[in-house]
Amino acid sequence: MERFQRQIILPGVGTAGQNKLKACSVLVIGAGGLGCAVLPYLVAAGVGKIGIVDGDRVEESNLHRQVLYTESSIGVLKVDAAKQTLQQMNSTAQIVAIPEFLSEGNVESLIRSYDLIIDATDNLEVRYTLDKASSSFKKPLIYGSIFRFQGQVSVFNYKGGPSYSSLFPKEEKAVLNCEEAGVLGTTVGIIGMLQANEALKIILGIGEVLSGRLLIYNMLTNDQQIFELGGQSVAPSFNSRIEKVDLINPELAFAMKGILLDVREVGEKPEIPSGFCHKLPLSELESRLGELDKEREITLFCQAGGRAIKAGKLLKKAGFSNVKAIRGGARDILNLIKNEMSKTT
Amino acid sequence: MITVNYFGNIAEAAQSDSETLEYNTLSLAELLDLLDSKYAIGKFPFQVAVNRKIVSKQQILSLSDSDEIALLPPFAGG
Repeated sequence: MERFQRQIILPGVGTAGQNKLKACSVLVIGAGGLGCAVLPYLVAAGVGKIGIVDGDRVEESNLHRQVLYTESSIGVLKVDAAKQTLQQMNSTAQIVAIPEFLSEGNVESLIRSYDLIIDATDNLEVRYTLDKASSSFKKPLIYGSIFRFQGQVSVFNYKGGPSYSSLFPKEEKAVLNCEEAGVLGTTVGIIGMLQANEALKIILGIGEVLSGRLLIYNMLTNDQQIFELGGQSVAPSFNSRIEKVDLINPELAFAMKGILLDVREVGEKPEIPSGFCHKLPLSELESRLGELDKEREITLFCQAGGRAIKAGKLLKKAGFSNVKAIRGGARDILNLIKNEMSKTT
Repeated sequence: MITVNYFGNIAEAAQSDSETLEYNTLSLAELLDLLDSKYAIGKFPFQVAVNRKIVSKQQILSLSDSDEIALLPPFAGG
């Protein structure tokens, strides 16, 4: 225990705390920039068993931030290179190298025998898989992620606390990973260290765990902000997005084969001949949605565009995806019709 | 004056970490519409915090002078 003396004498740690560390098992998913910061601190602190999951090999372009690896590690499996370095730091630690990528197929068998899970991945898909499994197995998930010079840290699924997917519901929108986005070693270093710090706090039972809260750290300004979770939009469906209705020029709308829909109220001028458009006043739209075909392209117009956009948002909320509004209004449509008529006569 | 703080890829879209808007009262929905028309934020997944508390984007909320809004997208790098 001599090697741990300087942490054992801390209030809240003691021999009992050191024994908790020894008895604890932590699974680190990802041995990249975050993983390389998390791992040595857990091993050095005396965590008894550490699993490392990563199917990648070390590349030269990893070395500026993945500081567990050396030039001679290039081409070697990350988990093997990491294990070698970590075992030299603490020969009594049980280090389990798992040269796999986490997937729905292996997630349950991987996390089952560990007490704590650390999300050090750079992949949203994997993060959702991990979150779901750690939530159902009631394993705390320590999240860290970066975007350029900023990082996020939080603890999910901790003592019934919120999950990652309740903070960020799964959406079909792309987010860059760091290979495309660029990253400084110190950014992943600091964020990984914060994750390791949360892990030690959870194991030792000290301090305030970042559960139900999201920490954002800005490396360029040293600003740290903590946001309280709780009221976030829950539905992963269209409800949580801001519906946006694209505008198109009347000429284009007129040339399309879809439905041209007049959402003005009955009797508004100028009247558009009904052969050229359908009529469904905005005030009745919601109750008469069944009259519209979701498969067809729908272009909306009113007098100046305001109600057309409103109607478009309403349709999108109701599950119509192919909806546009005309830039302009009925007068533009009428002019186009007149032009068309004069051409044919 | 309402302060809006941007993070991650939304800060990039807004080309700024923070800005103040000269409104005394504004609803949350109006603010999000306004920011969508300025920076097309609708294409990003994000949550909204008002005075460091995350709120639903659908919540009917009138913002007032000195409120601090944050747009929080998920990060993915590691």
